[in-house]
Parts: sequence; C-alpha cells; structure tokens
Amino acid sequence: MIDSLLFIALPYLAIFVGVFGSIYRMRTAPMTYSSLSSQFLESKGLMWGSLPWHIGITVILLAHVIAFLAPGFWQSLVSHQTVLAAVESIGLGLSILCLLGLIILGLRRLTSAKLQAVTSVMDLVVILLLLLQVGLGMAIAVHCKWGSAWCSGTTTPYLWSLVTFQPDVTHISDLPLLVKAHIVGAWLFIFVIPFSRLVHMFAVPVEYLFRPPQNVVWTNPRKFNADNQHFVKEEARRHFLRAFAGIAFGGFLLSVGTFRNVFSFFFGPRLGRKEETELMELRLSRLESTVGQRKLELERQASNYILVGKLAELSPENGKYFIDFKMQPAIAFKGKDELPLLISAKCTHLGCTVGNKVDQQGRILCPCHVSYFDIVSGEPNAEAPAKAPLPHLGWVIMDERGKVLARRDASGKTSGDVQPELRVTARVYISKDQEGKA
Amino acid sequence: MDIRAQVSMVFHLDKCIGCHTCSVACKNVWTDRPGAEYMWWNNVETKPGTGFPTLWEDQNHYKGGWKLSGNNGSRKLELRSQNKLDSFVKLFYNPNQPGLEDYYEPWTYKYADLFDSELGTDQPTAIPVSQITGEPVDIEAGPNWDDDLSGSPIYAENDFNLEGLSEEEREQLFEIERVSMMYLPRICNHCANPSCVASCPSGALYKRGEDGIVLINQDVCRGWRACISACPYKKIYYNWKTGKSEKCILCYPKLETGQIPNCFQSCVGRIRYLGVLLYDADRVAEAMKVPDQSLVESQRSVICDPFDENIVALAKKSGISDEFIKAAQLSPVYKYVMKWKIALPLHVEYRTMPMLFYVPPLLPVMGKMDNGIYDNPVDQFFTSLDKSRLPIKYLARLFSAGNEEIIESVMKKLMAVRYYKRSLDMSDLDIVMVSRMMREGSTTPQEAEEIYRLTALPTIDERFVIPEIQREEAIESSCNPELCKGSCGLGINQAPGRGL
Repeated sequence: MIDSLLFIALPYLAIFVGVFGSIYRMRTAPMTYSSLSSQFLESKGLMWGSLPWHIGITVILLAHVIAFLAPGFWQSLVSHQTVLAAVESIGLGLSILCLLGLIILGLRRLTSAKLQAVTSVMDLVVILLLLLQVGLGMAIAVHCKWGSAWCSGTTTPYLWSLVTFQPDVTHISDLPLLVKAHIVGAWLFIFVIPFSRLVHMFAVPVEYLFRPPQNVVWTNPRKFNADNQHFVKEEARRHFLRAFAGIAFGGFLLSVGTFRNVFSFFFGPRLGRKEETELMELRLSRLESTVGQRKLELERQASNYILVGKLAELSPENGKYFIDFKMQPAIAFKGKDELPLLISAKCTHLGCTVGNKVDQQGRILCPCHVSYFDIVSGEPNAEAPAKAPLPHLGWVIMDERGKVLARRDASGKTSGDVQPELRVTARVYISKDQEGKA
Repeated sequence: MDIRAQVSMVFHLDKCIGCHTCSVACKNVWTDRPGAEYMWWNNVETKPGTGFPTLWEDQNHYKGGWKLSGNNGSRKLELRSQNKLDSFVKLFYNPNQPGLEDYYEPWTYKYADLFDSELGTDQPTAIPVSQITGEPVDIEAGPNWDDDLSGSPIYAENDFNLEGLSEEEREQLFEIERVSMMYLPRICNHCANPSCVASCPSGALYKRGEDGIVLINQDVCRGWRACISACPYKKIYYNWKTGKSEKCILCYPKLETGQIPNCFQSCVGRIRYLGVLLYDADRVAEAMKVPDQSLVESQRSVICDPFDENIVALAKKSGISDEFIKAAQLSPVYKYVMKWKIALPLHVEYRTMPMLFYVPPLLPVMGKMDNGIYDNPVDQFFTSLDKSRLPIKYLARLFSAGNEEIIESVMKKLMAVRYYKRSLDMSDLDIVMVSRMMREGSTTPQEAEEIYRLTALPTIDERFVIPEIQREEAIESSCNPELCKGSCGLGINQAPGRGL
C-alpha cells in the first residue's frame, strides 16, 4: 500500500505538477522565471559553491538519464569490469564535488546578511532537499555498490513501467531502504520545481546559439505592413516547426513502445519450462477448436440439405435462428398453415441480424436502427430506414427416413402436405436446389 | 540601404557645472525602488577619476564591448566576452561581473531616531543603515565618491585613460597649483551596434526600431547578466531584488508623449541636446571594423543627411514617419555631430557606435596659471595645445580612440568661435589674428555665429527637438508608466516582483 503510494501515485503526481506547474508559471508569471543570481551581493562563495555543484550535478544527472533512456547501451557499457569501476568512481568523485558545492552554497546563504535579504524559505528547502538527495546517492554508491549495473534490472524497468502506464512496483520493492529513499527524493525534487528557483533548469538559453546578434523590435503599424511579407514567412516557418515537433514527439512515443518491446525481448522476464508447456497446450486447444469449426462449415457447404429443426419445435412467436448455405443468419417460424415460415435475418438496411421475437402485429425488429419487418410479407414498416423487404427462404420437409413430404420454393409455391400424425417427427431442411432459385 | 531613425543626444561639456541635478531627477522617478537604490542610470563623473562603477573603463577586467579580430582581408567584430560559447562556459559563474563592492552599498539614515530617542545630554544622531540588510553600515563608498577630485590623487591617478601619458604629463596634470578637471555626465548611449543586445542569452534586450532606444523586456530577462559584462559603459545594472537587469530607458513614456526626458529637462547648465539622427543600419557593423584612428570618421559616414532627397525617400520606405524626418532636419544633434563636427562619441574604440555625443571641454584645456594669475593667453594657444593643462592625449583617449588630430581640430574650432565673438563684442583683438584663427579652426563667420547661437542662447525648442510620435505607437496608452516602473518593455502591465 505504502509502496504504491510512494512509487506509483507520488511519481505521477510529481510529474504532472512538475510539468504543468512549470508551464503554468512560465505562462502566467514569466517575470519570476529566472535563476535569481546572487553573485552581485556575494561573489567568492558563489564561485566555490556554484561551479563544483553545477559541474558535478550536470554530469551525474546526464548519467542517470542515459541509464534510463538507453538501457541497452548503458548495460553494454558497464558490463566491462574496468568501465564499471571507472563509472562508479567518477560518479562518487563528482558527487563529493556536488556535496562540497552545496555545503558552501548553504553556508553562504546562512552567514551573509546581504544574502539573507534575498533568500526565501524555498531556497533553503531546495538546498536541504538537494543535500539529502546527494547524501543518499553517495550512501548508495558506498553501501550498495555497482548501482550503475544493477539499475538496469530494477529501477530502469520500474521507470519504464511508469512511462508505459503499466506501473510495476515489484521491480524495486525488494531494494534496500536507501535506494527507495533516493527514488522518493527524486519525485519530491520534481514536485517542487515549479514552486522554487529550480525552474531555471528550463531557462537554458539554447536559442542564443542560433540567433543573430542584433534584435530590433518595431511597434510601428506602417513598418509592420511593410514587413508583413517577412512576417508571413516567419509564421509559416513557425507552423512547420510546430508540426515537425508534433510528429517528432509522436515518433518518440512510438519508439518508446517499440523500444520497450525490443528491451523486454532481451531483458524482459523469462518463462519457466512448465509455464512454457502450459502456454503451448493452451495454443493447441485453441487451434483444435478452430479446426473443428472449419470442418463443420465445409461439411455444411458440401451437403445438399441443412437441418433447420424439427417441425414440432418451431413456434409462431419465437423464431429459431439457423445459418443458410451462404453462411447468413435466417429465422424459422411456424406459419398459420402449420407449415414452416423461413425468413432471412439479415436486415436489408445495413445488414444487422434481425431479432427473432414476433410482436403483436406479427413483426420482428432489427435493433440497430429500429426497422420492423412483417414476417409474412417481409415488408418493413413505413418509417423504417430499411426499404426492401426481407426475402423468404424455401424449405423441404422430410420424414425420418428421408422421404420428402412437402416442399416450398423461394417464390412461396408449396407442394405436398404433411399428415398430422407425421408432424411430430418431420424435420425441416433447406436444400441447395432451392438456394439457386431464391 | 536600411535607413533608421535614432533619438540621439549631445552633451556640451563646457557648460556642465557638475551639480548632479540630472542624476537626482532620474533617481527620483525611476530608481527609487528596492533593488534599484544603488543604480544611477544617469551619473556625473569627475575626470580624471575612476568613475562609477569603479574603473568601468578597464575592459581587461570587465571585458565589455566589441573587439576586432582577423587580418586585413577578413575583419570580424566579436564580443570581447559573452560570445556564444563563452556565455555557456560562464553560465554558472561569471568572473567579469561587477559586484556590489564595485558600486557601493546603498544606505539611508535612521531619521526616526532623531525623534524617538530618549531625553539625554547628547544630541541624537541618525546613523546610516544599509538599504539591503537594514543593519548599521560603515559608509565606504558612494556613487560620486571622488567628486571634484576629492581624495585626489588617490582616485584620479587610477583613471584608466591616463595610461599612455608620460610621467611629465601626469605631473603636469596633478601639480597642485595647476590641477585641472572636467565633468562627464553619463547615461546609456543607446548604441547603434549595442554589445549588450548581442550578448543577451535570453534575447530580452532589444533596440526599438522607431527611435533606437535600447530596452530590456523584463518578462524575458532570465538574469544571466551577460549584458552587464558586455556593456563597456557599465550602464546596465542588476536589480538584486527582482533578479533582473535594468537600464536607462531614455524616459520613453515621456518621449512618446512629446515630453523631455527628466535628466535633459532638469539640466541646470542646459548642456543637453536631444534630436533625431538618420543612419544606415546596413552599414553599422561594417563601419565599426576600421582601425581605432578612423572610428570617429567611420561613424560619421554612417549617419545620413536628412536633407538629401534620396535619403528621405529611403527613410519613408523603411517606415520612418514624416514627423521623424522633420525632426531629423531640425535636429541640434545633427548640427553638432555632422555639420560642425565638434561633438564626439565617448570611447568609440568599444565599437558599439554610441549615439550620445560630447562636445569636449575647452576651458580646462586652454586655461593657464602664470605667476599665480589665471589667464587664457590667446597667442600661445594654437602653438602650445600639446602643453595644455588637460592633455590633448587624455581627451583623445576619451573621445576619439586616441586620435589627437580630431580633438585638436575640435578645440581649434571652439576657440575660433570664442575669439570671433570676442572680437565682435570687445574689439580688443587683432582682426588678422582672428581671421587666422578662423582659418585654422576651419570655420566661417556664419558658422561661428550659428555655433554661438545654439551653444549660448538656445530656446528649449531648439535644444530638444522631439518628434511627434503616433498615438497608436505609444506605450503610455497601454500602461501607466508610474505603475510600471522597472518593467520597461513593450506592453507589459505587470509590476515587478522577485520570484518564489
């Protein structure tokens, strides 16, 4: 319970708040969106704090992200003993750098009177949270060694299970408390981004690399008209970029799915021998039933007659469904003349199967778009969307020994009769001869 | 050709009395807010002196402005620092930033103590307290700490522009009986090739197309402070409270309604002139690629003649309104800079093409002390310019990137005007000598009369030729400037505040 709260509910909440909160703040209060430098008031401490902290955390975060986004590559990288040792020791070294930087940053916030004038409670919360998180990371590096290797079987699939909306806590539920705390810390960190100075992570000025040196802004409407041609071009470019970004994002989502399949093919859970055998048996039984059905169909198509049912079983109100030679549904009723009345059940409107219950006016209902068909004439009611009548089918009545007692073709011509004493045993068939004529 | 209009300025340094009224007029309106107390968008420095912030001219330390790189074949303008890659390297810590100690810690006095202290034998005092921390503070520096050469020569000797002066010249400058100084009022130059705009990682800085005013969009500014390093004049200030950079806005809410900017209007010595210049924006970068010695001439070549019909037609095509073109034709700045060529840009070697021009001061140059008597000996002046009290070399460092010929020609013209007028009023001068001076100063009686009129007797409408700006272009219509202090930019109505 507590696990699913901390590792399923909290991450989704944190990511939702982190992403949408940051966007909301950017939209509504762009002026507050900055790194709020304090170098102006205190410079030396900032240098010794900010530089080691930012250099360390940038590299370490990058390693975390690579291990998550490209687990295959990462796995192949750290599978070499020497590389693994190098990654672990570089990580530990950088985290020491981070810790020292953070301590200096925290101390200067607490000791300088000038800095206190610009320090908010949130600034201190952020430093505390980061200290905790870095401390936990270092403790993991020392006590639960080779995290860069074991992450690919534990935290990476856990994160991917979150991404694919199939959260699975079992990947990490057996991990030591230290690691769990580190994960919870990460979610808390993402949660506080929009409420703190941490938004500056999204203010990395990448566009600076590509923009021309000078920036001229006109408010003049006359100038605006003169420049309109240029503006239209810009707008078109913007639309193109947006569409491109959309497609790229879609592609990314697709590749996430593909990636997961590829990943789980190589690294996913393996079936035991017993489970594998069970799975094969299940598949076999499914195949057998399909084969049976196919056989039945073939037989039916090969024979001249298809049994509809015993004449005595037919009722005037409750039709009996059967399948004709074309594999279409049809209904059999008992007519007023005590003889069978066979009518197609395929609605002439859009091909739904018509119901088999006859109402008081002697009609059956197609439930899809409410067409009532008279079972004697086959005609639909006036308001019905169906316009054509349901066709009748011909039939043959035979006794037990296969002697034809009576028959009716599709046009409704009846010949022969069934003696009352034979009605109990007589069976109704449809015949292939009549099919052609219908 | 891409003709643009620029609201530009001339400061006539001979008339500046160093009263700081301009600074106060600006402070009271724009920078009286928390976080902005230490800012002086307008300040007046005593030269020689270290200026505000201390030693702002030392670009080896602050690395502001542009530098020329490449050989003769392919010269390139590059930011001295804060170019594309450099900005990213310095993202986490920027070593070229001025800190509070380079300005001063702003303070006020505990005036309430004067009324609230208990009855005692001593007079109550109002102790100074920091405006940042609220704690009592020892005042160690102020915005004009070396005003009028106070503390000289400790401060004045550190003047960056004294580099290159010989030992003898320095001694001459600071000799106690001959000591000489001048005032240098400074606001943002609203450069045509601004290095601050080029350096902004967020793209928050921009130059307005209509009038060339350089502004910072506070909503886009992310407080990287690259502009503060990149501006060689240190005229962009970091607001420590809002975490954004701010700068002189040339009182655009006033300009847009046809009013005179505060520092211009309040000037006691009437040293300031405001007018429109037309210039060719396509040629700006190219013109700044010439050697130091030719920079002043090169800048002049970019400025266009507003009476030329071709220029007027091109200007109209670029969307410049008739009002602006008319203002450019009446511009006092055009007369000083282009017609008479006696106003020069400050530190043009930073290659930002500043659009604020100074008429260099004549009086401290020509004044002489002989046997304890202050005198302006005419006959020696032209032959002994190189021995003047404020060395020509020093002025050349300030106003012509070291080109002494330009300074000398300006001095000679100013001198000629002075003696021509004296010869008319006093008739105590030899006509032959005056006409020789006119020749050497390459001026004519008509021109001398015009210079005299605009320098000594101008009306307010002659000093400030402000174009009528279209109402639909005015920011004032969408934003009350009084409420939007510190949020300058296009159409922003949000009051500034520090983030979470």
